[in-house]
Amino acid sequence: MNFLKPHYSLLLDPFSLFFLCVILLISSVSAVYAYGYVKDEYSPKKTVLAGLLFTAFMLSMAAVVTTGNALVFLVFWEIMSLVSYFLVVFETEQKRSVNAGAIYIIMTHIGTAFIAAAFVLLYKQAGSFDLVAMKTAALTMPPAAKNLIFVFLFIGFGTKAGVVPLHLWLPYAHPQAPSFVSSVMSGVMIKIAIYGLVRFVFFVLGVNALWWGNLVLFFAALSCLVGVIYALMEHDLKKLLAYHSVENIGIILLGVGASMVFIKLNLPVLAVLALSAGLYHLLNHAVFKSLLFLCAGSVYRSTRLRDMEKMGGLIKLMPWTAAFFLFGALAISAIPPLNGFVSEWLTLQAFFAGAMQCPAVGTKAAMGVYAAVLALTGGLAAACFVKAFGITFLAIPRSEDVKKAREAPFSMKAAMAFLALLTLSLGVFAGPVLGVISKVSAFAAGSCGMLVPRADFSSGVYTITPSLSGPAALSPAFLLLLLVTAAGAGAALVFVLARRRKVTAVPTWGCGYYELDARTEYTSTAFSKPFRLAFSFFLMPYRRTEKINESHYHIKSFRYELYNTYIFKRYLYQFGLKMTLRAARSLKRLQAGSIHLYIAYIFLTVLALMIFSGM
Amino acid sequence: MNPSNAALQVLALVIVSPLISGLIRKLKNNLRLRIGPGIFQPYYDIAKLFSKDENISVTASWIFRAAPYVALGSSVAALCLMPAFLPGVSFSAAGDFLAVIFLLSLGRFFLALAGLDAGSSFGGMGSSREMFLSSFVEPAAVLAIFAVSAAAGTTDPAALSLLGAVRPSSVMACGAFFIVLLAETSRLPVDNQETHLELTMIHEAMVLEYSGPSLALIEIAAHVKQVLFMTIAVNVLISPALAASLWPSLALAGPAFFCVKILLACAAVAAVEVSIAKMRLFRAVDFLLFGGLISAVAFILAVTGH
Amino acid sequence: MNMITVLIVVMTFFMVISKRITSLVNAFALQSTFLAALALSEAVSTGSGGLYTVAALIFIIKALLIPHMLKRITAKIKAGENLGLAVNPMLSIACVAALDYLGWAFAVKVMRLPGPAETAALAVSLSVMLTGLFLMVFRLKAIAQVVGLLVIENGIFLAAVALCGNMPFFVEIAIFFDVFVCVLILGMFVYRINTLFTHIDVDKLNTLKG
Repeated sequence: MNFLKPHYSLLLDPFSLFFLCVILLISSVSAVYAYGYVKDEYSPKKTVLAGLLFTAFMLSMAAVVTTGNALVFLVFWEIMSLVSYFLVVFETEQKRSVNAGAIYIIMTHIGTAFIAAAFVLLYKQAGSFDLVAMKTAALTMPPAAKNLIFVFLFIGFGTKAGVVPLHLWLPYAHPQAPSFVSSVMSGVMIKIAIYGLVRFVFFVLGVNALWWGNLVLFFAALSCLVGVIYALMEHDLKKLLAYHSVENIGIILLGVGASMVFIKLNLPVLAVLALSAGLYHLLNHAVFKSLLFLCAGSVYRSTRLRDMEKMGGLIKLMPWTAAFFLFGALAISAIPPLNGFVSEWLTLQAFFAGAMQCPAVGTKAAMGVYAAVLALTGGLAAACFVKAFGITFLAIPRSEDVKKAREAPFSMKAAMAFLALLTLSLGVFAGPVLGVISKVSAFAAGSCGMLVPRADFSSGVYTITPSLSGPAALSPAFLLLLLVTAAGAGAALVFVLARRRKVTAVPTWGCGYYELDARTEYTSTAFSKPFRLAFSFFLMPYRRTEKINESHYHIKSFRYELYNTYIFKRYLYQFGLKMTLRAARSLKRLQAGSIHLYIAYIFLTVLALMIFSGM
Repeated sequence: MNPSNAALQVLALVIVSPLISGLIRKLKNNLRLRIGPGIFQPYYDIAKLFSKDENISVTASWIFRAAPYVALGSSVAALCLMPAFLPGVSFSAAGDFLAVIFLLSLGRFFLALAGLDAGSSFGGMGSSREMFLSSFVEPAAVLAIFAVSAAAGTTDPAALSLLGAVRPSSVMACGAFFIVLLAETSRLPVDNQETHLELTMIHEAMVLEYSGPSLALIEIAAHVKQVLFMTIAVNVLISPALAASLWPSLALAGPAFFCVKILLACAAVAAVEVSIAKMRLFRAVDFLLFGGLISAVAFILAVTGH
Repeated sequence: MNMITVLIVVMTFFMVISKRITSLVNAFALQSTFLAALALSEAVSTGSGGLYTVAALIFIIKALLIPHMLKRITAKIKAGENLGLAVNPMLSIACVAALDYLGWAFAVKVMRLPGPAETAALAVSLSVMLTGLFLMVFRLKAIAQVVGLLVIENGIFLAAVALCGNMPFFVEIAIFFDVFVCVLILGMFVYRINTLFTHIDVDKLNTLKG
């Protein structure tokens, strides 16, 4: 019974420190933001409670990534889930909060159950909950046990990360939480799941089979596409951002999965490159996703709206929020010279190098397919953010509430500005950032027992050269310089040639019709219609119409509702739920309601035990 | 690599780009047995636009005013990364082949936002369709880039321009890039540059609200993007180094061969445009996916060593 | 010591044949007193100081305080003194006798403890626990559930004191406080049920099933 005295062993290797930095960065920025957000919104008691819960959240996440004992990990993991549940349902006045919280807590507990099962299996093999002891035991574990443990870990951590098809809770929980909580949940908490996966697969188990990496890659690609397609269909701003978190977790896992494949194929430098790409994207996503959520929170705070279809014209009323949202949108669409571009470029380079160096033709082709999937999601994500930014901020307001919007207070602006600046810096100073991250991933890859040569992927402060046999380089700073020069040349041209032109403001051209108002603007649903039709095999949209006629020729009202079929929700979750409820109902016959009957059950069991135990 | 050489190469290409558009239009008209405008007409159009006043919608914001500069900047910056007729000469220290694709998406992002900015339905429709079609172009482009880079082992454009031989994979990649060219420069069968019906426009609808010098900048950006894709398509098939090696005695062999290649490409584009009708939006997706399939085949051929 | 054990068993019979709540509670109080006496004699024979405290606590809490509280609740409820027997007293005695036999057979066959004294102690404690369960199942009023729980707890204490001679002190203190709080809460519940439903017939609660 030696597990009853857990000695808390602190594990502060480079991998933990990296995640600790991410946690602290995003949490502190969100806390600064929260100060301005709750200032006139929450009562003092509620503010104190929010502050306590938020701090507990941050501390539990920090404890999860710095512990070297699996039991302590599990305890703090559970605390993290519970505290975040309370934060999700914090604004309990809305009925949606309760639903969202319920789905979240159930799914996260299912995931935790799988993680706990994996830990129990590891404990049985290792005899202790200490990570180092588990690692030594893993060297002699039978492969069947390792496979089972890996599957459990993947399901468990995948639920928390939001990997498809275990992502159902994400679009419910993240939008419902207050924005400073959503930013931490989406920016940091789902990354802790990635930490757990990499820690227990790379460090403890050691990557053992090729199908592990292929499984991760497959579900990562699936998450990318499913996430971005559902995001395109959304017109709730925060739900759109939540689906994009699913997509970006897919991108991160593409890097991690590729790294697992390369480790098994004994390509150490490639493994470090792929894992660096994944971890770089993890950092970048934490930064730009929290930025986006904070901006969405600023919009919600001043308009009380989350529905894009009612917004518009906010760029004139909230110019700073719009500018910061633009930074976030550019970053998440992988547009140079911001940080999202650098990590997606690195992931593509990792796939290219993999296609070059892997021996089997099947693997090469798969690398190409995954690169194509990544490119496709990048394009779709850009389209989605053109929609999000354009419908929310541009043109004219689509409803009355929006006309009263006012800009966010200083602390919120400061937090968003800091993150926006960070997206630019992480892109421009890609050299040193990649240097640090590649050391972290070299450490991680090396912990599988592979010999990792010294591989520095940066040359100088502004340039990265991940290519191992060639000179391909990327310098976002240089690109920025080229962009600015070219644009400046254009401006000079205009100045020289068109100095005497007049610029007049006129109403928008409407083919001769001058009473244009918000109803003639493009809507978010209309913007995504081509995508809805192109992916209709997956989305299965259907419509419900209701027509009320006043007379044979005159229609009094027409109601049109357009729905998408969420196949995971319908065929996986609701089916599972229906089966569970059916089983529960059949068990109901045992429960007649009488307490005496229930105690009699206990009594009979005790008697039976006593009688039959003697035999 | 001499930066001034690279800069001169870019400048030359930028200056020549409207001429190439004029040339394609002239070829198309000749094929239709018409006379049409002269080959220098795009220059006159740009000059005319610079002398005009500008009208900006009251609903537009700073994004509308900034978008032309960003579009021009991204097209020219992407052009800087590709060596055209001087083998191995470009600003490839800034970025590689993949960065070209991403840079162009910067310009497209801002133009699409500008389309939504004016608050009219035409702009929104144009933006929506433009982003829709371009997202299906990206996988085709990336796979074709991988196919071409496989032979050199790196995605560096300067290194690629130094390759020697013509391979089956590069032929297929050239085909894929040709389809990408048609899509990105809004040519038939994807989009029609000559239409004035708003419901059939894609790229034009997005920039419908622009006038005066801003429109001139956007047109220059479109010309530059066209010459960029033509350069990519022809250099993938026959690289500048190969061209220069065929006639090593001639000093200007590189540029001369480049002009010949571009002329052939113009002829090909004109021939395709004249002989095919514009596809419906969702048929155009099938067309782009077909391009993706070609680049996938090119990729498979490349990684298996052909 | 054997005498006290026999007295404890006799008290279980008394509890089972009582038809009114107060007589049940009194029987329970008496049984707890005997248990305290047993603990005291153990304490004297082994000389351990902890057992003195345990004996005192058993007497104070289970023989004085808890029965007092239960009688007060019963008075407040005014639900009548009727205990609501589901099984008439004669049959109950027969059942409890059978349970005692089962307990003894289990103790002998399974435990195989050295010494007849320990076997007898285990047999008695098992029968006390089973009687407690029996009370919970076959008595309809809610107070009987509370008393049944306390009787089970008595049985556990008996096993601990007679067999092990000494339970860890903190465990005993913790159990005492648990029991105290439990009774408080159960008492409150019974009172509330009565206010809401104007009776404490727990069998009628089966209309709440769903």
